Amino acid sequence: MKEFMVFIRNEGNPITDLSPEQQQAHVQKVGAYIKRLAEAGKMKAAQPLEMEGVLVAQKNGGFVDGPFNETKEVISGYYHLVADSLKEAIQMAKEDPRFEDGEWRLEVRPIMKVDGIN
Amino acid sequence: MIKNINSINEKKTVQSKENQLTEHFFRNEYGKMVAVVAKYLGAEHVESAEDIVQDSLLVAVEYWQHHGIPENPSGWLYTTAKNKTFNYLKHQKHKRKFEKESDTDEAVHFNFSDEQIADEQLRMMFACCNPSISEEVQITLILKILCGFSISEISAAFFTNTDTINKRLVRGRKKLRSVDLSIVSEERISKNCDVVLEAIYLLFNEGYLPNRKNQSIRTDLCLEAIRLTHILASHPIITQKVHCHAFLALMYLNASRFEARVNENEGTLEMEKVDRSLWNKTLIDKGLYHLEEAQQQGIVSNYLLMASISANHCIAPSFEETNWKEILALYDAWLTMEDTAIIRLNRSVALSKVHGDDSAIAELKLLETRIDLKDNYLLHSTLGELHRNANHNEKAISHFERAIKLADNERDKTFLKKKLKGVVPL
Repeated sequence: MKEFMVFIRNEGNPITDLSPEQQQAHVQKVGAYIKRLAEAGKMKAAQPLEMEGVLVAQKNGGFVDGPFNETKEVISGYYHLVADSLKEAIQMAKEDPRFEDGEWRLEVRPIMKVDGIN
Repeated sequence: MIKNINSINEKKTVQSKENQLTEHFFRNEYGKMVAVVAKYLGAEHVESAEDIVQDSLLVAVEYWQHHGIPENPSGWLYTTAKNKTFNYLKHQKHKRKFEKESDTDEAVHFNFSDEQIADEQLRMMFACCNPSISEEVQITLILKILCGFSISEISAAFFTNTDTINKRLVRGRKKLRSVDLSIVSEERISKNCDVVLEAIYLLFNEGYLPNRKNQSIRTDLCLEAIRLTHILASHPIITQKVHCHAFLALMYLNASRFEARVNENEGTLEMEKVDRSLWNKTLIDKGLYHLEEAQQQGIVSNYLLMASISANHCIAPSFEETNWKEILALYDAWLTMEDTAIIRLNRSVALSKVHGDDSAIAELKLLETRIDLKDNYLLHSTLGELHRNANHNEKAISHFERAIKLADNERDKTFLKKKLKGVVPL
């Protein structure tokens, strides 16, 4: 079994373009998707992230706290998946019904694993 | 130890609850919350109220999809909206600090109790139906603010484009700004109930028009009209509820026959061909219940008469066994209240069943001389039908042909062409 982080990325928030009726449908179907994977033991965690935050960096020997979104795209949430292979994780990401409701991008990243160590 | 905490946290991040949202939950809560928040911000800030509510729904969408639907989703939303309203007010106060000390004390009493929601929705309904606002703008405002429809949903329901709806909203909101929500007084509410019912009736009819296009959104218009009327019917401020009940009866009874009117293959069906087993018994029962409530008062209104006519159709076992005498008597009573060509036109079917096709034809011939009806396709299609029933085939054909020429949309034309075909003996 391998583990994956899936970062949910979007420009702006596609949900704002949905009507309340469509938002309800969105919550229900994405919720069902996450629940299904969680119950099958394939989703270890799933969390939304606030659209705000700080980027901490070092510059000229000191810390700078700046706004993190220099680009328009932000990470609005993540999934922590368990799958047999990258291929399966990609397949799981493709099944996310959020794609029906706007332009999201899911970044699928294998969590690093070193053979024989972890 | 640390590991344990992690595993607990992990469990909590995925949903475990089985709570479900009721149908149209978001849409209905949107309307309730905007009404209450707008009360606190003032009518000139209706748009800010809408923004606050939209933001609250957004948080719910993000959170609930990951964590499941909470046990009390309404309470969850109300708390969120309340906090956002406080923040908004605090921000406003800060902005106006040196201009004027604004009074946010009232915000302390801010709540989303059932009474408060009912009060504010009612007030908002009356504000939207302000006589200075045109009818089409009134129902657009109602759909946007009180029913939580999006602009594109409203334009789909009205078969128009989003620009038109946007313009109506801009016009409507401008007028709304001049309405002081707090002086929509109890007395005015009780008095102007009819104006609001009229707007809701338009909303219902908009959804009720037989057309297969955008059917589901238009069914929703009918449901919303019924929901809004229930708010009126159950509010203690409105002491005279007889019209509300009559109106509810009318809507339920008409809506019960809604789906059976249209056939997958043939399009709109004639009433005698409709499969009555498809009528919705639950809605008929609700309609009959409200009809009884309305009748108890002994006050006759056009809504009550329309509802009674509709009820007679609903309870008839077949088209032939309909109580036409009773229906004709109801139409006659209606004519004493308002005498319009359309009512006479609809009455003619009952007239033909009770006194024969010839007397109905004679009545319609009289109507034909009226300028407002001379070129009405319904007049000619009804005449065509009456002549067909009386075996005056030539006259039937000429009236149907006239009707086809006059009908303004393809759906009606197709419907009439089928009738025309039916006249010619095979």
